Amino acid sequence: FSPASRIGVFIKTGSRYETTSNLGTAHLLRLASNLVSVNCLCYYIDSSVHATREKMAYSVECLRNYVDTVMEYLLNVTTAPEFRPWEVADIQPRLKVDKAIALQNPQVGVLENLHAAAYKNALANPLYCPDYRVGKITSEQLHHFVQTNFTSSRMALVGIGVEHSTLKHVAEQFLNIRSGSGAPGGKAVYRGGEIRKQTGDSLVHAAIVAEGAVVGSPEANAFSVLQYVLGAGPLVKRGSNVTSKLTQGVAKATSQPFDVSAFNVNYSDSGLFGIYTIAQAPNAGEVIKAALNQVKAVAQGGVTDADVTTAKNQLKANYLMSVETSKGLLNEIGSESLVSGTHTSPSAAAQKIDSVATADVVNAAKKFISGKKSMAASGDLGNTPFLDEL
Amino acid sequence: MLSVAARAGPFAPFVSAAAHAVPGPLRPLAPAVAHRDRKVPLDPKRPLLCRESLSGRAARGGLVVSASLNAPASVRCVHNDVAVPDFSAYRRQDVQDARASSQGSSDSRKGFSYLMTAAAGVTTAYVAKNVVTQFISSLSASADVLALSKIEIKLSDIPEGKNMAFKWRGKPLFVRHRTQAEISQEAEVDVSQLRDPQHDLDRVKKPEWVILVGVCTHLGCVPIANAGDYGGYYCPCHGSHYDASGRIRKGPAPLNLEVPVYQFVGDDTVVVG
Repeated sequence: FSPASRIGVFIKTGSRYETTSNLGTAHLLRLASNLVSVNCLCYYIDSSVHATREKMAYSVECLRNYVDTVMEYLLNVTTAPEFRPWEVADIQPRLKVDKAIALQNPQVGVLENLHAAAYKNALANPLYCPDYRVGKITSEQLHHFVQTNFTSSRMALVGIGVEHSTLKHVAEQFLNIRSGSGAPGGKAVYRGGEIRKQTGDSLVHAAIVAEGAVVGSPEANAFSVLQYVLGAGPLVKRGSNVTSKLTQGVAKATSQPFDVSAFNVNYSDSGLFGIYTIAQAPNAGEVIKAALNQVKAVAQGGVTDADVTTAKNQLKANYLMSVETSKGLLNEIGSESLVSGTHTSPSAAAQKIDSVATADVVNAAKKFISGKKSMAASGDLGNTPFLDEL
Repeated sequence: MLSVAARAGPFAPFVSAAAHAVPGPLRPLAPAVAHRDRKVPLDPKRPLLCRESLSGRAARGGLVVSASLNAPASVRCVHNDVAVPDFSAYRRQDVQDARASSQGSSDSRKGFSYLMTAAAGVTTAYVAKNVVTQFISSLSASADVLALSKIEIKLSDIPEGKNMAFKWRGKPLFVRHRTQAEISQEAEVDVSQLRDPQHDLDRVKKPEWVILVGVCTHLGCVPIANAGDYGGYYCPCHGSHYDASGRIRKGPAPLNLEVPVYQFVGDDTVVVG
């Protein structure tokens, strides 16, 4: 047996559950996990909190024998955080630093803007605290957020390499203190807009999406396969990405360095699907148009069964490789528990992928082409077209 | 479930936008170097090297942000808020210029430093030796005691034939101005017959002056002057007879009267001790 165990507490909460009066609380909550005193510093290997817009995962990896000590820490963080006012005030400058470091990657800025442009509420809330809120988040807001969101019906306790009875005991004893489903977040309403951020960067990052599929629906599988048909990142180092339709299409339109990938994200009540391009500022327009033409081509039926099979294999491989590690497996089990309360085995998931038909893929592409689009772009946008020019 | 897991994967270096850059398998991200609270040095130089340097950078899925206790997510602070103070007021002339090499002047600087050290060392040794000897010599007899140890006697006060006694070092000191008759009498005495054989001239510097410590060598009484069978001294305690030179002639004493260290200073003065 592995000498290391991993425990994770997954909570169905995130920036989407904030309101305009308490934006940034989820960000500070992530950072506040460091405020809990860790008595078991020598026992754990890796402790972190990962968050998306609608899920937070506190996970700790530790040695098999020290699960109890580490569990104590996890429980402290999730069920009884203290949020002492002076400590909360002290870590607020870290919000700025955190955000500044994250925004060093233009992709982060573009995706935040994309969500802000695409949705009216909930999912439009940024993952990183807005600047005007730094210094204004109070201990009471944090407490309120935890009280209303960290409730037992929205939490999942997952362990890898831990006895089920231990987990069950802990869950019943400790994680049950706040029962019920807490405050419901607003339903995310898609609106479709565009946000452009003019910077001096010579590379233009642009994302164009339409509303996609909800997590767990059969449509979601179709969109995932479509993502791989179009091209979702390089599979071979230093190759020319032959299997990616987007890359091949854009390579015909420009000889300058670029990168393009199909973008797909699914949330519990909505999703986004589209393309993400990185291009040189002077030929950003050509790159984006070429990429969109490729998707149009797929929507018009220009995809063969062989393409779809290749894509399915790539998707299956990607999925299965992601659950090979204990971290990935924990993530997968936890996320799925939050959404559906069950766990599909990898083979069942692979079968579901195989059941996607070429027609489904084409329909998904049609949905993108015909749907109301949202766009976010950053860089030197002189040659970047607006949504209505696409 | 698929749509949840497909977000992350081995080829998603960017997607895990771990707030402080977890590098992926294909490409490292911007280094997470941050300052504590004021200025964050951004814009790390990322030169566009080749076509493939953009490969894999397009986003494929939603953002996952992370904060961590012991992983790269902790902000590693560059201590560039520490201002190194300007030390030019303390620098030697030769090394004022921070841009020039210091090797040229290093010999002269070292020589000067060593010279100063050696001189200081020598001076210190000298001073230390003096101080130590002064302190230790303070443990020896003090000046008043040393002063008491000598006595100055004016010889013109002593008439011929008279024996004068002085207190010296706690003991009686006999100074006798001998007549010529006494001198010649003592000179003729047969030395081999004496208990403690010493010729008279060995016991005096000037024959007319004999200076003795007036303590009987038997058991320490003070002999009486001009008494006894031999014209010298007689100790009344146990009947020791000394002659005019202070030598034992009869009686229980074993040795002659002690002759102290003395010297004649000028014509008229003798310093004993």
